[in-house]
Amino acid sequence: MIPFSMKNCFQFLCNHKVPAAGFKTTPKGGLILQSVSNDVYQNLAVEDWIHDYISLEGKPVLFFWRNSPSVVIGRHQNPWQECNLNLMREEGIKLARRKSGGGTVYHDLGNINMTFFTTKNKYDRMENLQLIVRALNAVQPQLDVQATKRFDLLLDGQFKISGTASKIGRTNTYHHCTLLCSTDRTALSSLLKSPYQGIESRATASIPSTVKNLLEKDPTLTCEVLMSAIAAEYAAHHHIKNHVHLINPADETVFPGVNSKVQELRSWEWIYGRTPKFSVNTTFNVLHEQTHLEIKVFLDIKDGRIEICNIKAPDHWLPLELCDQLNSSLIGSKFCPIETAMLTNIILRTYPGDYKLHSKWNILCEKMRGIM
Amino acid sequence: VRVISDRAGRGLLPALGPGPRCPLPLRPWRLQVGAVRSLHTGPALLSVRKFTEKHEWITTENGIGTVGISNFAQEALGDVVYFSLPEIGTKLKKQDEFGALESVKAASELYSPLSGEVTEVNEALAENPGLVNKSCYEDGWLIKMALSNPSELDERMSEEAYEKYLKSVEE
Repeated sequence: MIPFSMKNCFQFLCNHKVPAAGFKTTPKGGLILQSVSNDVYQNLAVEDWIHDYISLEGKPVLFFWRNSPSVVIGRHQNPWQECNLNLMREEGIKLARRKSGGGTVYHDLGNINMTFFTTKNKYDRMENLQLIVRALNAVQPQLDVQATKRFDLLLDGQFKISGTASKIGRTNTYHHCTLLCSTDRTALSSLLKSPYQGIESRATASIPSTVKNLLEKDPTLTCEVLMSAIAAEYAAHHHIKNHVHLINPADETVFPGVNSKVQELRSWEWIYGRTPKFSVNTTFNVLHEQTHLEIKVFLDIKDGRIEICNIKAPDHWLPLELCDQLNSSLIGSKFCPIETAMLTNIILRTYPGDYKLHSKWNILCEKMRGIM
Repeated sequence: VRVISDRAGRGLLPALGPGPRCPLPLRPWRLQVGAVRSLHTGPALLSVRKFTEKHEWITTENGIGTVGISNFAQEALGDVVYFSLPEIGTKLKKQDEFGALESVKAASELYSPLSGEVTEVNEALAENPGLVNKSCYEDGWLIKMALSNPSELDERMSEEAYEKYLKSVEE
């Protein structure tokens, strides 16, 4: 149940247009929000909602959010290039594509996400990062944290503790960044390492960095302590009340239309289908009667679907007609292990009883699913 | 004949010979904007560049508009690293979002300055998105579209009006 004052403040922000003419100085205002949800899609959706619908003139907003284990890729990135999708499926780690640019990050509850919403003319990433640095130093004056030209935050001059991305819209902008407090670093490094070979793509690539958690440096720097310090610094800087409003991003009465944004962000079409065109050029090695043979694979993938499919297995191992069937049936299908399993099972049913063939087919199909 | 650009970087069509309204002899010469205007009494083959408040530019030729972003925009955005442009055949209304770009500054949406149907997309930008920074008025064009409502152009700013607008924005 959102408190009455909270509902009011959103209505105020949505409908109120501060008249600029006649004011020498813009009235100070602003808002600090924190999500009660740990669902990456809901949080990204409400972020998008605020960007689209809230009037930020003279009233910037800071939004805190944390997610259950998820990998988040930038708008124009290729998830196959950026992370280990097979491992993510095994571990139940969500994959999300955000609307801002930048690289791939791993989120869990030990990571704080902060979004700084402003109008276009107040867009200033460095100002936001300096605010965070001041807040960190207010808690721990000895802490050596600095913003780089790439808008990262580095601890002790070498460990990345924060990465930045942003979006510019018609009138509003947002700058969001991460902050590593107590993230599972083992999970982070294994999930952000792609096992997929032979990918050629023009997608924007991430720049890997060595990371560290603030909690490892100083055990007093928990997520709660840091969010509190950053909120206090933001309130002081914008001369607003230091009050963090809790919001439920799934609440349609406060954020009408937010659930359709959640659906869009969760959709295969958005997450995978928005991957820039890419190709896969790789070889499978299969052991057959004590010799190795090679299966050459070439795929062209557009909008997440296979446009060109050229799988070449030696015909003494697998009949040419079966290979041709595989190639033609995969064209137009999603570059997705589930869809591929379904299609290949259908083909296999047309060759009942041939167990040797079945076993070879299964080997090939398993390898195919393994690159998706 | 070389295509000569004027100060604003506008490409002008090469003169292929004396046209029906051009009384001057056939020889290679340096074309200047003013000279072209005074020679043609009919509609220009290549219209003058118009600008929007969102820092896009448009030129038209036989009902096909070419859209790009202005020098102010490309400087403000910084190095562009990716373009997401529409499919040929996409129908756009004025102000519709038609794509996005990613630069070192941010991911930014691109809005259509006019209504029409996309007829061509600059494929060179896929390989070399930085082309828009190097040559925003020529090689770095974004899309071409068949205009469904050419009168929308009348609402757009001339180059002089755009320059005045920039000065007011920068204050």
